[in-house]
Amino acid sequence: MFDLAYNTIFFASYGNIFGLSNITIGLFDVLLAYVVTIIASIVVALILKIPLLPGKPYRYSFDVSAIYPTPIIAIGIFSIFLVLNYTFMYNGLVLAVVIGALSALFVKYLFDFVFPKPLDEDKGEDI
Amino acid sequence: MNEVIGIIIAAILCWLNFVIVDTYFGLPEQPGVRGARIIGENVEKRGGDIAGGFFQGNIVCSPDASAGTLMAAIGYLLLGIPGGIIAAFFVFIGNRLCADPGYAGTVGSLTATLIIFICSFVGFTPEMFIVGMVIAILTVQGIDHKRASILLGKIADKFNRHA
Repeated sequence: MFDLAYNTIFFASYGNIFGLSNITIGLFDVLLAYVVTIIASIVVALILKIPLLPGKPYRYSFDVSAIYPTPIIAIGIFSIFLVLNYTFMYNGLVLAVVIGALSALFVKYLFDFVFPKPLDEDKGEDI
Repeated sequence: MNEVIGIIIAAILCWLNFVIVDTYFGLPEQPGVRGARIIGENVEKRGGDIAGGFFQGNIVCSPDASAGTLMAAIGYLLLGIPGGIIAAFFVFIGNRLCADPGYAGTVGSLTATLIIFICSFVGFTPEMFIVGMVIAILTVQGIDHKRASILLGKIADKFNRHA
């Protein structure tokens, strides 16, 4: 009755019916949309006062920052929209900005709830 | 391109990609989780290198650049370049579920996507990279733990990441 995958793709395909998506989006447009996604996510993350770099030591830090998980989440979700051929108006630029802003909001307010930091009972030891 | 030659070259490229990325992000330096420490100490007990043992243990315990390269190749086969980026996103989620910050996995799958894209101009197909990555992991984890860990320890020494 409730098929999540089918319903999601069906809902996304409404854009094609109403002509909201641009199926013949060119290679340059895709590249530009990716760059806009990355820039929008970093800028919105900085506006929300997420630090630019993770805490030290960099390579073992679980902290969220504007550079590390935010653009990865943003371009990952944007790629899913892209392979579904749902790019909305202006060759995907509007979608890019919206996804960048939403992923920054996710990282700021929901990330620690969805992916909690591992319990560090004995500090400095293995988890 | 001939398939066998392509698979061999792809295996070498995948091996270099995941070993360099994983070593740079400090897999041989310390075990993130308890299981990786146990594997590393066991490998050392059998005459291997402790840094290489931590490297092998960390690969087993969470999806790092090795899994990232494999997933990027599969994603590229299915969906093209966006598939590789989706693979990086999924590897990041998997990393966070495995108590790993996830730098190595995401960077590894993004560089693997780039390598596959560049190599596609010369006639490589993503299938070659899938097979090549399986062979590359086999050389690290499957054939001889002792010698593989000594080699990985030497590479870790070069990168100044020895335990």
